[in-house]
Amino acid sequence: MKKLTGSQAVIESLLHEHVSVIFGYPGGAIMPIYDALYDYVKSKKIRHILVRHEQGAGHAAEGWGRVTGEPGVVFATSGPGATNLVTALADAMMDTVPIVCITGQVHSSVIGTDAFQEADVIGITAPVTKWSYQITQAQEIPFIFKKAFHIARTGRPGPVLIDITKDAQFAPFDFEYPSEIKLKSYNPTTQPHMKQIELAASLINNSKKPLILAGHGIHISHAHTELFDLASKADIPVALTLHGLSSFPNDHRLYAGFLGMHGNYAPNILSNEADVVIAVGMRFDDRVTGRVKDFLPNAKVIHIDIDPAELNKIIHAEVPIVADAKPALQALLQHVKKQTHNQWIEQFKAARDIEKTKIWDVECNPTKGPIKMAEAVSRISEAIKGKALVVADVGQHQMVAARYFKFKLPNSFHSSGGMGTMGYGLPTAMGVQVAKPDQTVISISGDGGFQMNIQELGTIAQEKMPIKIVILNNGFLGMVRQWQQLFFDKRYSMVHMESPDFVAVAKAYGINGMKVEVRKDLDLGIKNMLESKGPYILEISVEQEDNVFPMVASGASVSEIRLE
Amino acid sequence: MKNYYTITAFTENTPGVLYRIADLFLRRKINIESLTVSEVKNEDQSRFTIVVFAQADMVEKITKQLYRIIEVVKVIDSVDTDLVAREIALLKVSANKMEQRKEIEHLVSITPFTRIIEVKKNFLILEKTGTEKDINDFYDLMKPFGIKEFVQSGRIAVFR
Ligand SMILES: Cc1ncc(C[n+]2csc(CCOP(=O)(O)OP(=O)(O)O)c2C)c(N)n1
Repeated sequence: MKKLTGSQAVIESLLHEHVSVIFGYPGGAIMPIYDALYDYVKSKKIRHILVRHEQGAGHAAEGWGRVTGEPGVVFATSGPGATNLVTALADAMMDTVPIVCITGQVHSSVIGTDAFQEADVIGITAPVTKWSYQITQAQEIPFIFKKAFHIARTGRPGPVLIDITKDAQFAPFDFEYPSEIKLKSYNPTTQPHMKQIELAASLINNSKKPLILAGHGIHISHAHTELFDLASKADIPVALTLHGLSSFPNDHRLYAGFLGMHGNYAPNILSNEADVVIAVGMRFDDRVTGRVKDFLPNAKVIHIDIDPAELNKIIHAEVPIVADAKPALQALLQHVKKQTHNQWIEQFKAARDIEKTKIWDVECNPTKGPIKMAEAVSRISEAIKGKALVVADVGQHQMVAARYFKFKLPNSFHSSGGMGTMGYGLPTAMGVQVAKPDQTVISISGDGGFQMNIQELGTIAQEKMPIKIVILNNGFLGMVRQWQQLFFDKRYSMVHMESPDFVAVAKAYGINGMKVEVRKDLDLGIKNMLESKGPYILEISVEQEDNVFPMVASGASVSEIRLE
Repeated sequence: MKNYYTITAFTENTPGVLYRIADLFLRRKINIESLTVSEVKNEDQSRFTIVVFAQADMVEKITKQLYRIIEVVKVIDSVDTDLVAREIALLKVSANKMEQRKEIEHLVSITPFTRIIEVKKNFLILEKTGTEKDINDFYDLMKPFGIKEFVQSGRIAVFR
């Protein structure tokens, strides 16, 4: 046992949890912790990355959490520092991302008195955290940190917030970190119930048109091999949600495509023919289901999720299975029979061919007119052979990145799905890059969302993060404009946006870049970007009124998917 | 079809749980008819007894969502036949004249689980325990005398 102050105990606890990087921003109520941090950073025991806005720290931690499976860590001060985290917390909550945020709080003796920079952070963040706790006594630190990390990374991962009063940060006590934790009230079920597995297997074995819908859970549970083996053995097409992208090889004969509003034609049009659906690690978001009452009309659904509250929440599950994806798929694999469904798989190929001629070829290989978003993304994808970690912001470019980048690395697409948080891309790319320094990290944003966290260019420059930053500039808040065009009589209300010269802005931060305005410069721009050593900005002027198709209009059935 | 359900949640006895539980009902727009929180003896736990008027499938969903709250240990949702439930009510009833007082005393004496707890010059304070229905019936019985004040507790319940 050693005598430590609360602040030292905070850092020591982080070290016990193998935390190597903190994303943060100091301020009055967290100063004692920053003072303790000084020595640890100096002796290189831990790294701190000073962001330019706490929201950036929150998203960067999400990036870290998504690629490592370990909680990303954030420091922020009380009041405005903490409230700036709310968007990132909500985002992490929706998208099942482990992060641990540590916020300073005013002295415990003045809590509740409207003290300077006091905010009810626990109250404000309760609905957007998996768990939160306010520490008012230093002695609570070791156990609460142990508990926080345990909760953030296990079960259905999620954001956790620890608020620490300033006096608790100062107080000395005998520090000892618990080696184990057992909570009475929180014991996620990870192993599937065998009875349910047998029921599921018999449905699969008797099905003519089975379909797998796989989501984020595959990445979280590292179940890529299991997914592949199950699909191969029983010959089942695999469709992926936004967060499931890159969990199944996209050039495989069984790859059915990307589900949802702007997903591929084949899985949308054919899901309604499926007689058995195996939904794994996905939650039937409305962007996936379209009009719920018409979704999967012919299918018996087997739903595998670690969160029991997801089962029967949106879609009735014939066979609900509460389990971690990996052991559940392993168990299923044992019980399913080898099968072939050639005809059914042919149907997907036929639908894919329709999309290819009607959309893919047109969008990716235009010969005249302005550069198209799909063209830019597929050129980048080809140049790097799909071997990059891609972080997209929110809007048309996001859907285009999801659709046209040919991911070749597992867990290589990161985007804000549930929350649709504009401004997510650039800071999340920071966390991804810091966690995976040996990989190429490409951030793709629109001109609108990029300006929501543009200040993080400062962090990227200071920390010399070699992020390849692509801005697809269409001069509009494109996704909103598309909806206005299609559903509001082309009344373009407040969606035109003028932007600064992004390359000049980057230069001001000491970041290199290039602006591509015509097709003939596109490949050169991509080459320059990929060959550059440090961070790089590639601004590409794209067709202003380009639309993303296919599209399932909101409230429509997925079978009413529009190709134009 | 909507029905009355009693959701009993056992949770760790820590601050913030009530907030999270209340928020869940708020998000689902389920009105809480009554809520009683008490300590579980000899265990550091709280017992929430929550009465709602809702659809069966909604109750099932919210029960599962309650488990998302880290501190929640166990949740049981029940219909009235699964439970023995009681509430308590206090009534301040006008009694200016002797005949009124006599009559109230008589009614109290023949109604089970009812008693007079204070006698004042112009009014009586009565205590009534029972089911919601028992309490409503007694309220109606006292109404002609003039009820100056009425308060009713939330439900407490044990499983059959
Ligand atoms: C914080 C936030 N505010 C507003 C929105 C609504 N919204 C969704 S997409 C979009 C347009 C995005 O424009 P841009 O970043 O230029 O990308 P584009 O769609 O043009 O590719 C807007 C405003 C949002 N998702 N997030």
